[in-house]
Amino acid sequence: MRNSNYLKMALSILLHSKIRSWLTIIGIVIGVGAVVGIMSLSENMQKDMEERLSEMDLTAITISPGSSRAMMSMGPGGGGGGGSSASSEDTNLTKKDIMALKSVDGIQYMYGQISGQEDVYFLGEEAELSITGVDPQVWQYSTTDTVESGRLLEPSDNYVAVIGSGVAEDVFDNEVGLNQVLTIAGKSVRVVGILESEGGSGDNSIIMPIDAAVTLIEDAEPDVFDTIVVKAESMDIAENVSAEIEEKLMLSRHVTEKDQDFSVSTSASMVETASEMMESMTLFLAAIAGVSLVVGAVGIANTMFTSVMEKTREIGTMKAIGATNKDILMIFMMNSALVGFVGGILGVIVGSMVTALFPLLGMQMMGGSVSVGLSPTLTAFGLSIAVAVGVISGVVPAFQASRMKPVDALRYE
Amino acid sequence: MSDNFAEGSNKDTNSSSLLKLEDVWKIYQMGETEFAALKGIDLTISKGEFVIILGPSGSGKSTLMNLLGCLDIPSKGTVFLNGKDISHLGESELATIRGQMIGFIFQQFNLIPTLNTIENVMLPLEFQNADPSSAKKKAAELLDLVGLSEKARNLPSQLSGGQRQRVAIARSLAVDPDIILADEPTGNLDSKTGTYILDFLYDLHKKEGKTIIIVTHDVTLVRYAERVVHIRDGLVESIEERQNN
Ligand SMILES: Nc1ncnc2c1ncn2[C@@H]1O[C@H](COP(=O)(O)OP(=O)(O)OP(=O)(O)O)[C@@H](O)[C@H]1O
Ligand SMILES: [Mg+2]
Repeated sequence: MRNSNYLKMALSILLHSKIRSWLTIIGIVIGVGAVVGIMSLSENMQKDMEERLSEMDLTAITISPGSSRAMMSMGPGGGGGGGSSASSEDTNLTKKDIMALKSVDGIQYMYGQISGQEDVYFLGEEAELSITGVDPQVWQYSTTDTVESGRLLEPSDNYVAVIGSGVAEDVFDNEVGLNQVLTIAGKSVRVVGILESEGGSGDNSIIMPIDAAVTLIEDAEPDVFDTIVVKAESMDIAENVSAEIEEKLMLSRHVTEKDQDFSVSTSASMVETASEMMESMTLFLAAIAGVSLVVGAVGIANTMFTSVMEKTREIGTMKAIGATNKDILMIFMMNSALVGFVGGILGVIVGSMVTALFPLLGMQMMGGSVSVGLSPTLTAFGLSIAVAVGVISGVVPAFQASRMKPVDALRYE
Repeated sequence: MSDNFAEGSNKDTNSSSLLKLEDVWKIYQMGETEFAALKGIDLTISKGEFVIILGPSGSGKSTLMNLLGCLDIPSKGTVFLNGKDISHLGESELATIRGQMIGFIFQQFNLIPTLNTIENVMLPLEFQNADPSSAKKKAAELLDLVGLSEKARNLPSQLSGGQRQRVAIARSLAVDPDIILADEPTGNLDSKTGTYILDFLYDLHKKEGKTIIIVTHDVTLVRYAERVVHIRDGLVESIEERQNN
């Protein structure tokens, strides 16, 4: 028999199969959907990560109190991001720490930074916003933020602020413009600059000179910092500088690696942590996908066994009128592959719907916007997996069908 | 390869013998016990004959038919087709012989329910790798011959019993086989339709010289036969030659 005839036979069986037998393809639909979704997710996140990496300041090193390793606060040195504000109660970073680091080689500059959530009033409206206090001497050089209008902070600044685009446009009913005044903790703070949108949490924060911010943020004390931002002289030495900082601070703070009460992380290491996290998530999803594919394969195999049973007499008839074992084998294998193919199409549709949902599932927390849509390669890949699963599941039932003795098959009631 | 079988050859003494059974036994194993459905059948069927195999239920007719149709091989004894021993052939060789030389008609019609009428008729040709367009043409001619051209696109479930059997006849003729084997072809039909079917087969026999072998317990069919083989308890009880028309 010709291949086109196998396909025709397999299609006719498929088109006339019962709805009940279609239910068993759900497994493969989910499996392929998961595979395609995962791959599309990690593809997009990879792209996003690379993009952010390229605009990130890789010379930045962040020191935070508390022993927890690099928190997921992206954008260190970006100024707008703010640090981990309440990571630890009784350990603080202070001026003393900055002094201790003066002797470390390769540091371009460093400054302490504080942050907190405060109620901000504007034209009678109120909103709780993140306030970051930075060193106005150096922040303008260290930040990767750019102003949309106005200017960055200057050394002589006091009760003035640079605000994120979200604060300017979205937080209050009235747009906050340059030179308008916000009220924070009873003080008037004039807006001198509005930042370009970055699409992250930084859009909703307010950046002020640290001396002014200390008086506005509850619990904040002079010379006590939430974060110390260090800028290495070049990106190549950032890791070394970071290691030396860690050493120096352990000495000056009288701690060992075991009871270390601070953490030092470079931008690069944060990116690494993020991608590690992404990897383990991908692995978890891949496991789900694998299990669904196995369940899908068993489902199809089950359907095929039932179908072969139900068609015993037809198999006998086909053999009587000249079908060889190979013909029967091919017809049922083709049928099984087609079932897989249909499951694959549905799976790819499900996968692209899931991909479309990612942005709604809070994936922005990982940063910028995750783009939507499946690539043609991924679609082809999903379909190939589905067909492969169909073929594998069909092997045993199809073989069983092909080996039926014509006489027995014809007698089957 | 089956051309060997089709052309016939050497060895056999009687050149016109198409199928020859020599002391054929069929023993079914059922767990501990054995059951002999055929107990030493000797039978020769010549090319162009119209033979009816008659016997009561359980006498072994279908078992015999399976051997004549190369669907099965004997437990003991020898089956010759065109003078060649086929008793020990493998399944794929038997499939080729069936596909090229034998047309089957069943009591239950045995059409493929997922294929429409013309696709069913084409099927034996497709198993022989026939060219699709010529297979379609041949199938259309055969459907015309059995008067069902206008049902070409219908599924078997949309046909009456008699119509289904006519489709089955068309299918049995697709590869233009030498032998037509029918097991109780009228068993599921009313007598009028049954008569149509038998008349049709008789015509084929007369006009095209096809060898027709019909298995039945219906004694009214013997009037078509040139030879009636009476079977009882797995043995040939008697063979009755008839003078027909
Ligand atoms: N596969 C089998 N296994 C065991 N016994 C079988 C098998 N096939 C047939 N038999 C037995 O062999 C005997 C002959 O069966 P067969 O089907 O040839 O009868 P038949 O003459 O065609 O009967 P009917 O007119 O009812 O179709 C029966 O007793 C049957 O039970
Ligand atoms: Mg029978």
